[in-house]
Amino acid sequence: MNTHTIDTSTPAIPADDYDTTAFFADPGAIATVTNTTDSQTVPLPTPDASTAELLAAVHEAGRRTVPAPFAETALVARPLLRRAGLSVPEGPLTYAIAPQLTVRHAHPAASAVGSAGSAGEDDTLLVAGTLRRVPWARTATAVVVLANAPFGPVLFTLTPDQAVLAPGANLAEEARDDLHLASVEIPAAQVRRIPRELLEEAELRAALARAALIAGAGQRCVELTVAHTTARTQFGRPLSRFQAVKQEEAKLIEEAALVRAAVQAAAAPLDAGTAAARFAIAGAKTQASASAAEIARIAHQLHGAIGITKLHPLHLATTRLWSWRDEDGDETTWAAGLARTLTADTLWAALTSTP
Amino acid sequence: MPTATISPLGFPEAVLPESARQLRLDVRDFLDEERARGTVLGRPDSWLAGWDPAFTRRLAERGWVGMALPTEYGGAGRGFLERYVVIEELLAAGAPVSAHWVSDRQAGPSILQHGTEEQRRFFLPRIAAGKCFFSIGMSEKSSGSDLASVRTCAERTADGWRLTGTKMWTGGAHANDYAIVLARTEEAEDKHAGLSQFIVDLRAPGVRIEPIHLMSGEHRFNAFHLEGVHVPEAMLLGQQGDGWKQVTGELAFERSGPERYLSTFPLLVSLLRELDQRAMTAEQLTQVGILTARLHSIRQLSLGVAAALDAGASLDTQAALVKDLGTRLEGALVDSVRSILPTPADPHATPGSHAELLAFALLHSPGYTLRGGTNEILRGIITRGLEQH
Repeated sequence: MNTHTIDTSTPAIPADDYDTTAFFADPGAIATVTNTTDSQTVPLPTPDASTAELLAAVHEAGRRTVPAPFAETALVARPLLRRAGLSVPEGPLTYAIAPQLTVRHAHPAASAVGSAGSAGEDDTLLVAGTLRRVPWARTATAVVVLANAPFGPVLFTLTPDQAVLAPGANLAEEARDDLHLASVEIPAAQVRRIPRELLEEAELRAALARAALIAGAGQRCVELTVAHTTARTQFGRPLSRFQAVKQEEAKLIEEAALVRAAVQAAAAPLDAGTAAARFAIAGAKTQASASAAEIARIAHQLHGAIGITKLHPLHLATTRLWSWRDEDGDETTWAAGLARTLTADTLWAALTSTP
Repeated sequence: MPTATISPLGFPEAVLPESARQLRLDVRDFLDEERARGTVLGRPDSWLAGWDPAFTRRLAERGWVGMALPTEYGGAGRGFLERYVVIEELLAAGAPVSAHWVSDRQAGPSILQHGTEEQRRFFLPRIAAGKCFFSIGMSEKSSGSDLASVRTCAERTADGWRLTGTKMWTGGAHANDYAIVLARTEEAEDKHAGLSQFIVDLRAPGVRIEPIHLMSGEHRFNAFHLEGVHVPEAMLLGQQGDGWKQVTGELAFERSGPERYLSTFPLLVSLLRELDQRAMTAEQLTQVGILTARLHSIRQLSLGVAAALDAGASLDTQAALVKDLGTRLEGALVDSVRSILPTPADPHATPGSHAELLAFALLHSPGYTLRGGTNEILRGIITRGLEQH
C-alpha cells in the first residue's frame, strides 16, 4: 500500500557520437534523437523506507531528471504529514513553506479553544495569500502547506482545486506554479498544529531533497560527459585522451562526488533530529548549490557545441542544476546560516559532529 | 575484489566506531594539557613543519603513535578509523606531529605489511614508542611524479647491497634515524619492474645529507646522497623486484588522509578568532560558510576512503580524488581567508598572530598540491578510474 509510482520518461544516455551533418541532412534524425526515451516507472519508496533509502531514491530521480514531484513526495510531503499525524494521500504530493500566508480561524468565536494536535472543528482555518512557485502544483494530489497561524505554526493540506493556479516554470521547464488562495476554508480535519521544530525540519527536508536531486543531476552530467569524451574523436583520438580534457573531467568527477558525499552524510543526522541535522544539511545544500555551476560549466565545455542544444540531453541536467541550486535556499543563504552558528571555538566541534 | 564495483562517485559511507567518540574527547583533553604547556600552537602545516620529538613521545605514551599496529609489535591494535580520529584532532589543533609523521603513516604500516619478522620486531615497537623516526627516499632529481624512473641503484655484494644515487625532497633526513629507499636492483625493459625497497641507516658511512631550504627559509627537506652505502641483506624490505607494487600499494593511505585537507585549517580558526571580535558582514558569513561546507564535504569523502581501507579494500582512484580536492582546498582556503579579512601577510609579526600564520600558510601553499604526487598527474588516475568503471 501507498507505493504510488510516478511515470517518468527520460532520454537515454547517448552512447554514440553525434554527427551534426546527419542532423542537418535528415530532419528525421533530429526527431529520433530528441524523442529517444527510456520510459520507465520509478517506484516511490515505501513509507517505512529509511532516510538513507529515500535519499538514494531521490538521487536516482535527479539522475534520471524525472519530470515529476518525486523528491517532494518522498522526502518532504509524506514524512511531514506523518510527523504531523495526518494520513498520507495517494499520488504525487508537493509542499509550500509559507510564513507569509494570512491564516485566521474560520470560526473566530472558537479561536481561543483547541490544543496542540487538535483536530476539532475549532481549527478550521481561513487562509489567504499566494503560495509562490510551488513545485509541480498542477500535477499534485495535495499540497502540504506549513504556515504561521495566530496560535502558532500549523501544517495543513490543500488540493490544487481549492486555489487559483497560475502556471509557471523554472529554467528546466519544471512546473513551478503560483497558487492564489482567496480566503479558502481548510476543514479542521486537514489541519494540525505543529511544534516550531517541525517547521524547521520542513525547511531542512526541502533543502536536503533539492541537494540530493542536484547530486543525481551531477552524476548524470558525469555519465553523459564520460560517454561523450570517450566516444567523440578529434584529431584522430578520443577527447578523453587529451590531457587538457582529462584535467577538466577529473574536476567534474570530483565535484559530483563531493556533492554526493555531503548529501549521503546528512541521512543519519536527519534521523537523529533537527538539531543534529542543521549543520549537515546546511553543509549539503551549500555544497550542492555551490558546486552546480562548476559541474554544469565543465560538462558543457567538454560536450562542445552539441551540449548547448536540445538535440542532446545534457541540458535536461544542467538547466535543473541551475534551477535547483536556487530553490529551497541558495548557497549564499545556507552558507551564511551555517557561518552564523560558528565561532573559532565551535568550528571544529561542528565539523566533527558528523558522522 | 568487492570494491571493484564502487564507482569513483560512490564512496562508502563512514560510520565511526562507538569507541571513537571517547577517543576524540581523550585527545582533546591531551591537547588542552599540551596547549597549557605551550607545545600546541595552532600552526598550519604542522605535519610537515611541527617538529617536536618530546611531544611525539608523550603522544606515544598514550598509545597514539603507531596506534593501528598490532599490540604484539608494540602498537595499540586499533583500527584505521580510530587512528583517523586521533590524527584529525592533532592536525586541526596544529599540533607538532612531523617528527613521527612518516614513521606512523608509511614506514610502520609498510614494515608491518612487507617486512620480515625480524624487521617487525626491531622497528615497530620503536616506532610506536616514538623513538625511531623514518624518512622516505622515493623521489629523485629528475623523477618527480614519475617514480618508475628512479635511477638510484642497488648492487649485490657478498653480504648485502651497495646503494648509489641521490634522492630528493627527503623530509627530515637530517634528523631521522632511517630511510626507506626505493632503488633499482635490475635493469628491466618495463621500468616498473626491477625496483626494490631498502631500509637504510641514515648514520651509515656513505650517507651524505645536504639541506634544501624552502622559500620560507625552513630546512625540512634534503638531498640525500647514497655514496656506495652498505645495506645488510636483512634490510631489504619486502621482495626483491616488488618495489613498485609495494610503493603504489601504500599510496591510498598517503593520499586520502586528513592531512590532505586540514593543513591550513588552523588558519581558518585563526580567522574566526579575529572575526569573533566583530560582527561578520553578510559577505564574510557567506564565504566562511562556503569554506566550512567544503571542508565538511571533503571530510566525508576522506572518511569514506578510510572506512574502505579499514575494511581491507584499496581505493586508489578515490584516494587520488580526495587528494586533488583536499589539497586544492588547502590552497584556496589561504586565498579566501586573505580576502575575507584583508590582512598583509607578515612573517615577522608575533608568532601565532593572524598575519604571521597567513604568511606561513602562504609560503607553504604551492606545496599542498605537489606532495604525494602532483595533482595534474593524479587527475589522469581519476578519469581512467571512471572510464574503466
